Amino acid sequence: MIPMADSSPAGAPAIAAALTEPTVQVTSSFTGAKIVLYGAVYDPRRQPHDVVVVVRGPEQPVRISRKVRVAGLWLNSRPVTFEGAPGYYMAASTRPLNAVTGFRNRRTLGLGVDNLPFAAPAETRVETRYGVSDVVVSRLGGEYLAYRRAVIRLKQQGGLYAADSDAVRFVDTGLFRADIALPSSAPAGHYTAEILLFRGGEPIARRTRSLTVEKVGIERTLYALAHERPWSYGVLSVVFGVFAGWVAAVVFRQP
Amino acid sequence: MDVYLPIAEVAVNAPLLVALGALVGFLSGLFGIGGGFLMTPILVFLGIPPAVAVASEANHVTASSVSGVVAYRRRGAVDLKMGGVLAAGGAVGALLGVELFRVLLALGQADLVVSLAYLVFLGAIGGLMVTESLRTLIRQRRGVVATPHRDRRPPWLYGLPLRVRFPKSRLYISVIPPLALGAFTGVLSAIMGVGGGFVLVPAMVYLLRMPAGMVVGTSLFQIVLTTALTTVLQAGRNQTVDVVLAGLLLLGGVLGAQFGARASTRFRPEALRAVLGVIVLFVGLRMGMGLLLTPGDPFVLSPGSATP
Repeated sequence: MIPMADSSPAGAPAIAAALTEPTVQVTSSFTGAKIVLYGAVYDPRRQPHDVVVVVRGPEQPVRISRKVRVAGLWLNSRPVTFEGAPGYYMAASTRPLNAVTGFRNRRTLGLGVDNLPFAAPAETRVETRYGVSDVVVSRLGGEYLAYRRAVIRLKQQGGLYAADSDAVRFVDTGLFRADIALPSSAPAGHYTAEILLFRGGEPIARRTRSLTVEKVGIERTLYALAHERPWSYGVLSVVFGVFAGWVAAVVFRQP
Repeated sequence: MDVYLPIAEVAVNAPLLVALGALVGFLSGLFGIGGGFLMTPILVFLGIPPAVAVASEANHVTASSVSGVVAYRRRGAVDLKMGGVLAAGGAVGALLGVELFRVLLALGQADLVVSLAYLVFLGAIGGLMVTESLRTLIRQRRGVVATPHRDRRPPWLYGLPLRVRFPKSRLYISVIPPLALGAFTGVLSAIMGVGGGFVLVPAMVYLLRMPAGMVVGTSLFQIVLTTALTTVLQAGRNQTVDVVLAGLLLLGGVLGAQFGARASTRFRPEALRAVLGVIVLFVGLRMGMGLLLTPGDPFVLSPGSATP
C-alpha cells in the first residue's frame, strides 16, 4: 500500500516532499551547496496548483549602520540591531509570489523577502499618542523602513536572502523539484524547509522538512577550539607561527 | 581551488592567497619590512571581515618576522635588551589596543577605525618617505653632498630620567622613549594588523639614534614579541584569529621573502625607499578612499554581537 502524503480526507489535495540531502557538510573545500528537494502533489482532480518552498536558516540578529558624513568623512552611525531575522532565507516558487497568493497570505506566511517578520525591539518604546495608550513607536521614526529595507537589500547582495519564481519546476505530473542555492557564507545550524501548496490563491496543504548545515572535520575542530577555548587557540596559533617561521629560516639558511 | 576559512567563514581562492603571500613576502624581503600594512588591506579587499583580517595578519606577521630575527641574530644584529624594552612597551600597547578594538567592534566602528588609521599613519609616513627620498635623489643627481645631521641628538630625549645603558647599540638613554614607542606600535598592531616596522624603523634611526646595523633586527625582534601577544589577545578576547588564513599567507610569504632579500642587493637604497614610500602612500589613500567617497550604499552591515 502506498502511504498517503497527508492525513487529509480522501480526495482532498495533499503534498509530500523530501530533501535529497538532509545534511549539508561544511568542509575545508566548502564553496556553497545546492539543495535539491523533490515533492509530489496528490490531487485526483488534477487542478492547477502552485508550490512554494521556503527555506529559513537559523535566526541571527543583524546589526546595521548608516553612513553619515561628518567633517567630510563618511562615518558609521550608531548600529541598529534587528531581531528575528533568519540567517538565510529563500522563497522558491512555481510563479512569482504575488501571482501565487495575495498580500495577506504572503504577510502571515512570511513569503518573500519583504514579508520577513523581523524588527528592531531595542529601538521601540510604548507610549500614549493622541490619547491612545500602548502605541508602539520606533525611535528611528520614518527612518525605520529605510533601515529594514537596507537589511534585506544587503542580505540579498550577499546571496543570503532570495526569492526565485523559477526555482520550483514540475518535472512530471504531480512531481516537482526545487533547487535552492546555499552560498558559502550561509550560517551553520538548523534550517527548515516549508513546502506549501496553493490553489486559487489559498494555502491548502503544508509540509515541513528540516535541514542541518554543519561544520565537519578540521573546520569544526578549529571553530570549536577558537570559540570554546579561545586562549589555548591563540597560544597554539602563535606556536604554529613561530615554528613555521623558524623552519623557514633553517631551510633557507644562506651558506 | 577554494578553501573555506573556519573563522572568517568565507571561501577564498587558496592559490590566489598563496600568490599574494608570495608577492607581499617578496616586497617585505626587498624593502626589509613586515608587510602587514600591505596584506591587511588586500585581505579586506578580498572580502575577509576586517576584524578577522587584522587579527590573522598579526599571526602572519609573527611567523614571517621569526625567520627574519633568526637570520639577523646569526649576524649579531639584534639588540636583545633594547628589543626587550620596546616589547615591554609593546605589551602594554597591545593590551590597550585589543581592548580598544573590542569596544570598536561592539560599537560597529571597527572597519571605520581600521580605514582611518591606515589613511592617517600610512598617508603621513608615505608622504614623508617620498619627499625625503626624492630630495636625496635630486641632491645626488646634482652632485651635492648631503650634510650629515647624525650628531644632532634631540636634547629633550636625553634630559629624561631612568637612563639605561644599551651596550649593543652603544646608547645610554632613558627607557621612556623606547617604552612609549613600543606601546604605540603595540596599539597599531592591534587595530591595523601590522608589525609597526614602518613606524619603528624611522623612529629608531632618527629619534633613538641606534646604529643602522642594529635597527632592522631589533625592530623585528620587538615585532615578534608584540604581534605574538596581540595574536593571543585577539584570539582570546575577540575570537577573530584565522589560523588557516595565516598559514596560507605564510606558505607563499616565506618563499617570496627569500627572493626579495636576494633582489634587494641589486637596487640603490634611496630608490628602494622612494618606491616603498609610493606604495605606503598608495595603500593609505586607497584604504582611506572609502571614507572620502560617497558610498554606493548608505547602509552597511556591521558584524559582531550587540553586547560588548
